[in-house]
Amino acid sequence: MFEEASEVFDNMFKSSFPLTFIVFIPAVLILVSPLPAEAAHEFTVYRMQQYDLQGQPYGTRNAILNTEARTVEAEVLSRRCVIMRLVDFSYEMYQKALRQSAGAVVIILPKNMSTMPQDIVQQFMELEPEMLATETVVPVYFALEDDELLSIYTQTLTSSSSQGSSSAAEVLIHTATANGFQMVTSGAQSKAVSDWAITSLEGRLAGTGGEDLPTIVLVAHYDSFGVAPWLSYGADSNGSGVSMLLELARLFSRLYTYKRTHAGYNLLFFVSGGGKFNYQGTKRWLEDNLDHTDSSLLQDNVAFVLCLDTLGNGDNLHLHVSKPPKEGTPQYALLNELETVVSSQYPEVKFSMVHKKINLADDTLAWEHERFGIRRLPAFTLSHLNSHREAQRSSIMDVRSVSSSSRHGAGEHPAGPHVDLRKLSRNTKLIAEALARVIYNLTEKGAPGDLKIFTEQMVQEEQLSSIVDWLTAQPRAAQLVDKDSSVVSTLEYHLGRYLKDVRRHYVKADKRDPEFVFYDQLKQTMNAYRVKPAIFDLLLAACIAAYLGVIYLAIQHFGIFYSVVRRITAPKTKQH
Amino acid sequence: MTGGPTRYCAINPNTSILRIWFDSYLSVTCWSGTPSIMTLFHFGNCFALAYFPYFITYKCSGLSEYNAFWRCVQAGATYLFVQLCKMLFLATFFPTWEGGAGAYDFVGEFMKATVDLADLLGLHLVMSRNAGKGEYKIMVAAMGWATAELVMSRCIPLWVGARGIEFDWKYIQMSFDSNISLVHYIAMAAVVWMFTRYDLPKSFRLPVTVLLGLCVYKAFLMELFVHVFLLGSWTALLVKAVLTGSISICSLFLFVTLVHSN
Repeated sequence: MFEEASEVFDNMFKSSFPLTFIVFIPAVLILVSPLPAEAAHEFTVYRMQQYDLQGQPYGTRNAILNTEARTVEAEVLSRRCVIMRLVDFSYEMYQKALRQSAGAVVIILPKNMSTMPQDIVQQFMELEPEMLATETVVPVYFALEDDELLSIYTQTLTSSSSQGSSSAAEVLIHTATANGFQMVTSGAQSKAVSDWAITSLEGRLAGTGGEDLPTIVLVAHYDSFGVAPWLSYGADSNGSGVSMLLELARLFSRLYTYKRTHAGYNLLFFVSGGGKFNYQGTKRWLEDNLDHTDSSLLQDNVAFVLCLDTLGNGDNLHLHVSKPPKEGTPQYALLNELETVVSSQYPEVKFSMVHKKINLADDTLAWEHERFGIRRLPAFTLSHLNSHREAQRSSIMDVRSVSSSSRHGAGEHPAGPHVDLRKLSRNTKLIAEALARVIYNLTEKGAPGDLKIFTEQMVQEEQLSSIVDWLTAQPRAAQLVDKDSSVVSTLEYHLGRYLKDVRRHYVKADKRDPEFVFYDQLKQTMNAYRVKPAIFDLLLAACIAAYLGVIYLAIQHFGIFYSVVRRITAPKTKQH
Repeated sequence: MTGGPTRYCAINPNTSILRIWFDSYLSVTCWSGTPSIMTLFHFGNCFALAYFPYFITYKCSGLSEYNAFWRCVQAGATYLFVQLCKMLFLATFFPTWEGGAGAYDFVGEFMKATVDLADLLGLHLVMSRNAGKGEYKIMVAAMGWATAELVMSRCIPLWVGARGIEFDWKYIQMSFDSNISLVHYIAMAAVVWMFTRYDLPKSFRLPVTVLLGLCVYKAFLMELFVHVFLLGSWTALLVKAVLTGSISICSLFLFVTLVHSN
């Protein structure tokens, strides 16, 4: 047959040209028509943090994976991609996967975090820093759950949990019918981002009445932190701090517009970046202002620095200090005013001072005020959290709001970290009152404790709400906010509406001895391909061979069938 | 460190010797490493399933003795030409398909299926150009037509799709479908040949016309069934096989009666 074929093609090419044309043009047209691309299930995955801080590496070092999927119940985990759901997540399973040198770990999170039961949220929050503390080469990804991903997970679960137990026949049937999944990421290996600039913003309101006025500095860091940068929305920590800072800027700029209420204090507002990475923005800003400039507000007469950190919830208010303020100093005055305002106007709030010495031997500083304390500026941090080690300061579970069904009930776990707008606005009013009393020296002038300087309408809850909503609408991890980011430019615009001399301040890591190094490839697209085991192809080949054998026999003996049909039809025609 | 893709192979240490032997046999047959070998193997499976019956039919029907290869190629070229004309016709007169989300445009699809009458004309053209016995004409026309369809509409999807990482049953189904198409085209060629015979008895006119209509609208009927009864892909294949089988048996009966009634 092949000799005939070659003869025919020879003829075609040599002689009958028009026929060749007719044959090949439609052939070419049909061949080059575009075919639809096969699509397996594609979904976005978010990588765990990867960064170096002061030379110490944290998080996962790898980004690419191309491995088969398994769940934790399977026996062989090495070089496989282990899939877990958040509801079933436990640290032991995670450790088990890492110990067996799994190829990757993918943790499936529910689409709406606020529907998770609170004990799971708490448990995960506590595990986040532990997961980050150990440097691991296994890429860890987080994915948001949808129906297809859930079905992939359940199929992988059934195939993984049935591996060890069954008999040979069951294994055979199982290989023929089961679906395996191959997880492949599309990106490249992660590498360090060079020349990343962390942006901070400052603005000021100048006081009236001469030179050398005392300065009050209000600071809040705007970046967020979590186990996965793209999933860290940082609602309470520190979206609440930033929105409170902007609201205070608005209030005091209104007061400073009128001559009668223009006070004799300079107000300096600083929105710092890189706060979760040991307050890099603040550190460099201080260096620039104190070491490299001749005159700056920070060099002369600083009354105190107030850092706002996590104030969106809770009924506690803690003033964290590194040195208890001495009597007669402005810090002492603020402490007093806060106590006065709380006791007379907001009795439900429990106010206390927390004294913690700066420990330079620690890897990272505790609160932002410690940066100022190191440079001998009097500073404190206000927070509703008691300790800087609280897990919710650096958790992806810190979201704008939680569903009402999971709120604190009698005997249940407290609700996960979120922003309670009423409490945020109450805290804002509280701090505004205390600051006003310090600035206008009201206690010395004899004003009673329950004198409200700001009326109800002045502190606008809608303004606070819209700023918090906007801040928590996007992840604000320091690795994601570069100097062209919309977060920075919107904050700059907002500050520019109320303050003068709004300036940007950039921090880039030192070339030779970088304080911080960020890595890229934090968001990837992962494909899940359905695969069948190798034995399946062999089984299929055997079945096809059997089928073809039957066909061969049928065609060979077609003549018999033909004569049967002829015999059946012959008597009928005879009757005609 | 992330490793290449591995297939399912598990050696459980806590089992009997027999089981360990079986597992090690499995692991030997598990080729961990490049997936392209296994996916090429799958492509080979599908291709063999599709092409082998054609090869056997060509060999066993005695066509090779008559040097019919060139004529089959000519029949294939006619197939291409007819498909091109049909595509141009459809593009001109049915330019946009207003496909609603659930609405199945019965009338539109019916009109489009009517264009498949061109297939009948093509087959008739091929058969009229070949001199010889009825069986010879039918087989040559049907083989050439079906092989051209196999190459044009199935080889490329198989080559592109069956070699991918992702496994899908539809490639096996496509290969089965090509087998069914072969039988269908043989039946269709036989019916066309019978329709154009001058000595066709009056009583045969009706069944032959009915069979002809069924051949042309078979695709349309299949889509109708799938849409109305929401058949799964394997069930649809079975229904198609049964339909083709019944058409071909009826046409075989008619053919035998006609040929041997003289």
